[in-house]
Amino acid sequence: MIEVVLNDRLGKKVRVKCNEDDTIGDLKKLVAAQTGTRADKIRIQKWYTVYKDHITLKDYEIHDGLGLELYYN
Amino acid sequence: MANRTDPAAKSIRGTNPQNLVEKIVRSKIYQNTYWKEQCFGLTAETLVDKAMELDHIGGTYGGNRKPTPFMCLVMKMLQIQPEKDIVVEFIKNDDYKYVRVLGAFYLRLTGIDSDIYRYLEPLYNDYRKVRLKSPEGNFTLTHVDEVIDELLTKDYSYDIALPRIKKRWTLESLGALDARKSVLEDDFEEEEEKDENEQDDLEEEVAHEKDYYQTRSPARERDRDRRRDSHRHRDRDYERDRDYDRERGRGRDRDRDRERDRDRDRDRYRLREEKDYGRERERDREREGRERDRRDRDRGRRRSHSRSRSRSKDRKRHARSSISPRRHEPEDGSAREEPKKKKEKNEKKDDGTDHPDPEIAEANRIRASLGLKPLKL
Repeated sequence: MIEVVLNDRLGKKVRVKCNEDDTIGDLKKLVAAQTGTRADKIRIQKWYTVYKDHITLKDYEIHDGLGLELYYN
Repeated sequence: MANRTDPAAKSIRGTNPQNLVEKIVRSKIYQNTYWKEQCFGLTAETLVDKAMELDHIGGTYGGNRKPTPFMCLVMKMLQIQPEKDIVVEFIKNDDYKYVRVLGAFYLRLTGIDSDIYRYLEPLYNDYRKVRLKSPEGNFTLTHVDEVIDELLTKDYSYDIALPRIKKRWTLESLGALDARKSVLEDDFEEEEEKDENEQDDLEEEVAHEKDYYQTRSPARERDRDRRRDSHRHRDRDYERDRDYDRERGRGRDRDRDRERDRDRDRDRYRLREEKDYGRERERDREREGRERDRRDRDRGRRRSHSRSRSRSKDRKRHARSSISPRRHEPEDGSAREEPKKKKEKNEKKDDGTDHPDPEIAEANRIRASLGLKPLKL
């Protein structure tokens, strides 16, 4: 179980607990459950890399405590 | 300049009509080439031409969330605000289904509740196919009536949040609308009658089977028992006991029968674990046969009495466990497995929502509601 921090730099900072083998799509659903936006409106980035929905966190090498950027579509 | 709403347009729901589309999607539409090239300076008439050229509907798609031409035209309509008559014309026209869907969508966004129901419900009869662009960018197929159903039931469609409308029964009770009359009502009535007839037929069938069993000889029944006993190792003891009892010629008291019923219950419960319906039905029939053999007195009354009783019990027991009576008839597999699982696992849930740490339990609860597996700790 890892904990990821998502920050949208506009006031929304969210800590989400998830498994390493969850996909980014699952992570978006968890974030949506916590923030209240819709899951398909969320875009997760790291600098200019937009993370794709079907790839797992493990494959993106997202480790515990990593900060991700939260943007909206 | 080009993106300003017509100053003569009235505000919808207290705000600029273009604000019905949220900010991010709105900016995406303004930056879109289709909007810039084709939707510049459109009026109501020229809008119709553009609408006739539509060949798919959809929201935003792709990694960039690019809007479809359908969305651009919706935005344009919000901007110029055509008259209600024009919108109704869009909806009523039969030739161009995409124009119809466009008009319906616009009415859903801007119309009043009773109008929405009045004009959109007839479109339930339109079952033509329409092309839908999925958020990934592929095309899928849907139908006009499915689209209308989405508009009337969901609150978010094609990346635009649909304004809330009153429920239909509220409007009916207010008297603003008549009760919903479906075009398929006559068909439904026919179906109901058919179902009622089938129910009667089923009961007749039961009566017929009684006669059928009357003709079978007891000797044959016994042979069938023995054959069947050989491959039912689990229930062999029960079978043997019963045969033994029968040969002994035990009495046919009510109590005996009840005991036998209880044994049968237990067997039936076990059998269900194997989920072998065919075998069970044969067993039931064989049991019926045995019952009949044992009855000399009160043949007519008793037989029908017990058989109907046991039969109804059979039917019910197919879905219920004999131990715990249930009110509803749940699905077969889950119902039978659930009581067993509950016994075995006590109260340990397998989705981790009873974890001692409340945060993890909460997280697991959210995950379970989303359909994800629990956290691996």
